[in-house]
Amino acid sequence: MRPLRIAPQTRPDWRAGRLNIVIGALSSDAHTWNLVFLQLLLEELGHRVRNLGPCVPDEVVVQACREHPVDLLLVTSINGHGVQDGKSLIRAVRNRPELASVPVAIGGLLDTDGTGHRAELLDAGFDAVFEGGAGTGALTTYLGALCSRSA
Amino acid sequence: MSEFGAFVAAAAARGDLVVQPRMGFGEPARMRAGLTAVRGSRAVAVGTITVDSYTRLGRETDAAAALADGRGLNGFPLTVHDRQTVQSVLLGVRGLDFPVQIRHGSAQPHRIFARMATLGLAATEGGPVSYCLPYGRYPLRRSLENWRAGCDVLAAAGVPAHLETFGGCLLGQMCPSSLLVAVSVLEGLFFRQRGITSVSFSYAQQTSRRQDELALRALRRLVAELVPPDTDWHIVLYTYMGLYPRTRTGALRLLEDSAELAVRSGAARLVVKSAAEAHRIPTIEENVEALEAAAAAARTTQRLPAGEDPDDEVFTQARTLVEGVLNLDADTGEALVRAFEHGWLDIPYCLHADNAGRARSFIDAAGWLRWADVGRMPIAPDGGGKVRMTARDLVAGLSFVRDRYDDPHPTTRTLRLANLAGGDLGGTMHETAEHDTAVRAHTAPVTPLEHITAEATGRVLRVQHALLAAVGAHLSGEGFTQVLMPVVGPVTDPGTRGSKQVDVDYYGHRYKLMTSAILYKQAVLKACGKIFTIAPNVRLEPMATVATHRHLAEFRQIDVEIAGASRADAMMIAEKLLTMAVRTLARTVPDELRALGRDPEELVASVTGPFERVPHARAVEDLRRLAYDQSDAAEIAWEAEELLSGKAEHPFFVIDYPKGSRGFYDRESAATPGVLESFDLIAPEGYGELASGGARECDYAAIVTRMRETGENPAKYQWYLEMARDGIPPSAGFGMGVERLTRYLCGRSAVWEATAFPKVPGAVMP
Repeated sequence: MRPLRIAPQTRPDWRAGRLNIVIGALSSDAHTWNLVFLQLLLEELGHRVRNLGPCVPDEVVVQACREHPVDLLLVTSINGHGVQDGKSLIRAVRNRPELASVPVAIGGLLDTDGTGHRAELLDAGFDAVFEGGAGTGALTTYLGALCSRSA
Repeated sequence: MSEFGAFVAAAAARGDLVVQPRMGFGEPARMRAGLTAVRGSRAVAVGTITVDSYTRLGRETDAAAALADGRGLNGFPLTVHDRQTVQSVLLGVRGLDFPVQIRHGSAQPHRIFARMATLGLAATEGGPVSYCLPYGRYPLRRSLENWRAGCDVLAAAGVPAHLETFGGCLLGQMCPSSLLVAVSVLEGLFFRQRGITSVSFSYAQQTSRRQDELALRALRRLVAELVPPDTDWHIVLYTYMGLYPRTRTGALRLLEDSAELAVRSGAARLVVKSAAEAHRIPTIEENVEALEAAAAAARTTQRLPAGEDPDDEVFTQARTLVEGVLNLDADTGEALVRAFEHGWLDIPYCLHADNAGRARSFIDAAGWLRWADVGRMPIAPDGGGKVRMTARDLVAGLSFVRDRYDDPHPTTRTLRLANLAGGDLGGTMHETAEHDTAVRAHTAPVTPLEHITAEATGRVLRVQHALLAAVGAHLSGEGFTQVLMPVVGPVTDPGTRGSKQVDVDYYGHRYKLMTSAILYKQAVLKACGKIFTIAPNVRLEPMATVATHRHLAEFRQIDVEIAGASRADAMMIAEKLLTMAVRTLARTVPDELRALGRDPEELVASVTGPFERVPHARAVEDLRRLAYDQSDAAEIAWEAEELLSGKAEHPFFVIDYPKGSRGFYDRESAATPGVLESFDLIAPEGYGELASGGARECDYAAIVTRMRETGENPAKYQWYLEMARDGIPPSAGFGMGVERLTRYLCGRSAVWEATAFPKVPGAVMP
């Protein structure tokens, strides 16, 4: 007999709009706990997650997004180099015509001075920026919006 | 001996703890100012130059560009600044009385080591495993090759080198101590094999002071046993490397505790964290403050007296891991890589492709890091069964130390663990204070308001209602009478598992809230022969049981008692009741079950009987095979029950408990004296005990004897004994926990989710 599956706690109304999400830390960021947490969180919300791990080179991110359909690319950095690394990544992603419109979000502790670079990152091509002390609420709201858009 | 090793040894001989910052600045002038300030601090300190992230990864061009733009770096780019610049940083600061260590975190260290050699710098740290797996994506085998080359560079340099393992830290948190000790030892042996004769062995402070003390003792013993005698070595402790307390007092207290731990356990050096750790890269002044606070705490602490070294579990596990790896290959580096390939070493929650990724850990009720799953490692799981980690469980584990130090008030800690306000993992989107109700706490409820308004709560309550309706209908159909039972009485079930009773002042008499309905159940059989009731029970369970995820201080039981029935009859009724209830729910509330993540058909298939009957003695054997130390004279411990439950696909009975393990009312077998005619019904999938029952003692003299045997005073039970003297019918029955059954049927990760107003042990709740 098969063992029983225990589904993660899920909002059923979101399951219909389940997203394929690729997550990973920006190229110089070696932190992984936030990635482990993010993966568990997103899976509990019913999404499918591919976790590229820490210090992902830009070309690996691009390749991962081209291999399988992606509804959201979510990159993180908490080492203070997120702004420069993020801008490099988004250039690489947006340079690919097939990835020109894929939603890309960035979050974490993105700079060393805490001055905030939200507008700069949005201008560079990110669709959403979750900076500093933003909670999971902002992220889940954003996911909800993506779900209803893709539904 | 290396300069660094000699400095530490001299300090140790004087009884001084050497303290050291984690400090690194991109600009040479600031780096020099930092070193100068550390040197001038009121502490026996060594200096640190921490290398920035770009340089660590071999991306010198990016580091140089960041410097040129004035963008700032998170460390000192040792290989980017020219040699003269680095010399100007060190000149007149570094010396025999102030050695400087390079901290870098690189899996490609030879460039850094080569630069060190040109500067006469000879102290550094890391390791082929600890600077590879927890960080980037660099292949472990290449890291090993690089570290071999790096060690060769260091060993060939003119100045004797000192190398410190980083293996005692790994991911910084959530790694049980035995694995930290093992990797630290193995990396040090690797260094020694590569010709480095001055080595320090690290260990990072974890969640329990006692476990840390055992770990440091195990580390010392293993190093002493395994390193060649001509090695200069010492132990270095890292102040907690995980999520750091945010309050200044909490942060400093954690630092001081680490300094005390270092001295008590005979570590010679401490690498500190500052009070600003949770907030930013600390300033020079904050680093100095930390060094001085640690040194002051160390000065007022004594080393633990040297005693015998019993083979405690941390030592035994660590030695098993170390020996298993060393047996893989004569070359320790090769053995390490092979061990990870085999999964014989497996770092919990490490995402690296060369890590097996099967091991899982958690923090138990005593604050110890335990294995929930050892993967393929050659050690026994000590966590007792399946522990599912959710995002919130993970955050709870990661913020365990932070919460304890930020809010040391023990009565609120249980709830704080659930609140997790501010567990931000260093920034954004990790924070759960404003978490969505879809992602619920699994350790304990958040707040009563959040719990009652969560979508899942309504669904669970509707399933529970359907369950109670089905139970009532089924038992009524079988000829049972539902009887309403007292809530207070002069005496109640004495219980056996360490829970406390609640006293009530009843017109000047000390009455009890019912811990179970057993006495009334037996007595009421004088009126009706087959009864059931849904009885409320209050048991002040020990606070530690909050970790079981299946104890509540207030709960209800479906109590069934049948006059003239045998234990076999009672088990059959319990089995039928469960089977029938599940079938009914699959018909009446399939959508609720599905929305809760339960497949109704699979649930029905799982609870189709007959359920296996496992004698207690066999359960004990099974547990011992699983390396669980279960006594054959006691009731199965809850965590052991969960272990067996986790291995089962269907519910099963454990029968024939030994006498003495249960209450006085369980009848002793006439055929096998010493064995009780009792049973527990255990759910599959790790949900543990659902019901407990048996055939009852009804003979007056036998009851009195059994009361005395179990330490009860018969005089307290006057009303019950009067009934017994008049004649209570022989009977059998059981009590099935309503919340536990609901939890299992709804697939909830904790029992508190199965009731509207949970009373979690130890938490003051409405």
